[in-house]
Amino acid sequence: MSAQVFHQAMGTLQSNRLLNNSGTHHELGNIRVQLIPKCFKLNIELSRNRNFRFGKKNFGIIQATASQTSVIESASSPSNHDTSDSKKKSNEAALILVRHGESLWNEKNLFTGCVDVPLTKKGVEEAIEAGKRISNIPVDMIYTSALIRAQMTAMLAMTQHRRRKVPIIMHNESEQARTWSQIFSEDTMKQSIPVVTAWQLNERMYGELQGLNKQETADRYGKEQVHVWRRSYDIPPPNGESLEMCAQRAVAYFKDQIEPQLQSGKNVMIAAHGNSLRSIIMYLDKLTSQEVISLELSTGIPMLYIFKEGKFIRRGSPAGPAEAGVYAYTRRLAQYRQKLDEMLH
Amino acid sequence: MAAAASFFSQSVGTIHVCGCANSSGFCFGKSSSRSISNGFPIHVRLLGKRICSSSHCKLHVVRESNSCALMMDRVSSSSDSSIDNNGKRSIESALILIRHGESLWNEKNLFTGCVDVPLTKKGIEEALQAGIRISNIPIDVVYTSTLIRAQMTAMLAMTQHRHKKVPIITHNENEQANLWNQIYSKETKKQSIPVTPAWQLNERMYGELQGLNKQETAERYGKELVHGWRRSYDIPPPNGESLEMCSKRAVAYFREHIEPQLQSGKHVMVAAHGNSLRSIIMYLDKLTSQEVINLELSTGIPLLYIYKEGRFMKRGSPVGPTEAGVFAYTETLALYRQELDEMSQRTS
Repeated sequence: MSAQVFHQAMGTLQSNRLLNNSGTHHELGNIRVQLIPKCFKLNIELSRNRNFRFGKKNFGIIQATASQTSVIESASSPSNHDTSDSKKKSNEAALILVRHGESLWNEKNLFTGCVDVPLTKKGVEEAIEAGKRISNIPVDMIYTSALIRAQMTAMLAMTQHRRRKVPIIMHNESEQARTWSQIFSEDTMKQSIPVVTAWQLNERMYGELQGLNKQETADRYGKEQVHVWRRSYDIPPPNGESLEMCAQRAVAYFKDQIEPQLQSGKNVMIAAHGNSLRSIIMYLDKLTSQEVISLELSTGIPMLYIFKEGKFIRRGSPAGPAEAGVYAYTRRLAQYRQKLDEMLH
Repeated sequence: MAAAASFFSQSVGTIHVCGCANSSGFCFGKSSSRSISNGFPIHVRLLGKRICSSSHCKLHVVRESNSCALMMDRVSSSSDSSIDNNGKRSIESALILIRHGESLWNEKNLFTGCVDVPLTKKGIEEALQAGIRISNIPIDVVYTSTLIRAQMTAMLAMTQHRHKKVPIITHNENEQANLWNQIYSKETKKQSIPVTPAWQLNERMYGELQGLNKQETAERYGKELVHGWRRSYDIPPPNGESLEMCSKRAVAYFREHIEPQLQSGKHVMVAAHGNSLRSIIMYLDKLTSQEVINLELSTGIPLLYIYKEGRFMKRGSPVGPTEAGVFAYTETLALYRQELDEMSQRTS
């Protein structure tokens, strides 16, 4: 999809007019642009780009020539359009994982899987609370699943964010959807946070258990069988996914689409589900299948990782609802928060 | 439930529902229905029950007797999906229209159109409030646009509904999506309300104005031109839709997909946008293009129509935020509400 191609291209070549809406988020984690080994010119006519359209305007023609030149993002002012040189190259990006809160079928104790069930009032509250916890952490891009409970969680959480940028869901289900969602103001673009929805981040698909409650399921299939499906790593329910299968598509997506963003210094939030997030954490923390089976993610308590030099450093453990999440700020995050304080006073 | 209910409301001789104030601000209008000309006797099961939860309310039931007895099904039990007993399909169904509340670009005064911008905190509140207003009105199916602000409005509103059914968004964008969202329990399905997203219900697409603010736009194009786009019926902004174009696809969708639901007795909620809803109202109320241009829909105040015998009767006018919406209950709706009351009394 051209959206991905674009993201990938942007991984190596930053235009601060597009995805990287403003320098503010990068004042401390400057983007280091990797030089493309060959010497060639990249002419990016973003007006033709599919996801972020600028209409007729021609934005950001960036040329990368051989080794010496490096184009670095300017850190500070949102109105600085030009790429400028010579900032520090600290490649540190924040990764926030948020598991959605209570859904209407959680409440009724039904197996949900990929059935698109919304949040309860409690789930709405949890999302807003989660938002407060991350209100000082920079967010440049958001990824969610294709299910409304994760999308709502992201949108509700972001109403609390102090930076006041506007999350905007990207549409590319059809040419018309792409065309119809174009934005024609540069300033507005800069104040936007793209939100990408991806089925690969969906909850584990539960096959023929979807919609059943525990009693029904035990009646239909027998207790032990059900226990195996729920607690094993690689045994799928009938016509469903095992945790292993879920992990495969979720982690592949993460590595393919999300990690390059982090590599380019973008701060990312992922709003998804118990199993898709466990899968990703399995990758981030290098867990074994035994360990991941026992991993329980709290709902509504965001988890923070710092991505630095190719490594994921966990800064907030999966904590129970009674335990406050511990977010040890890095210096960069502390400074970002300070900027927010100054901005809002 | 819907068909039985509507038949019931038509055929119950004369029922006078007296004015009754209740906590959600709805008022009962006094209403009477005509008896069926061939005079069925009606055994009203409700006679034995306390009719109204409020002590202010009196319900008089007039019994008409004749040769054959006709048992009416209890209204609105959630598992009742049958048509009425004697096969007659006199249908009365509810149609709720909700315009979403404040979005993040409304707040910033930017032209939004089809850019998928979410709700503000205020917009979230408006959706919850709207939900409280409709919490006693039956809903069988929901239609929204493909934009998150309308979908969230529907989902938030439904968290307030008293029936405890679960809205579920149907996915069929491709085969996998279709397969992956299958439900395997009949009971669960019965407790579900299908939600169908449709781009035809999207906001009017604003072309090259999307993302611009009023100042920017006036500067770029000149004041008069902008005024022309915003206030005319058939002049589109550059690469955008005119209100007429928006109407065409919205009303076509309504007639093709939504009206048949109403015809079959299903109660429908549509959560959408200013222009797509105006377009539909233009169709429902048979407005002229001049009239529709001047039509302003409040955000967060649901509009109720009753669909009956191919006609749409407006039961709540587009009102400003300070004016309480007046929803005159029909008997069907009053009885549905009563059922909800009983349901929650049993469970409490």
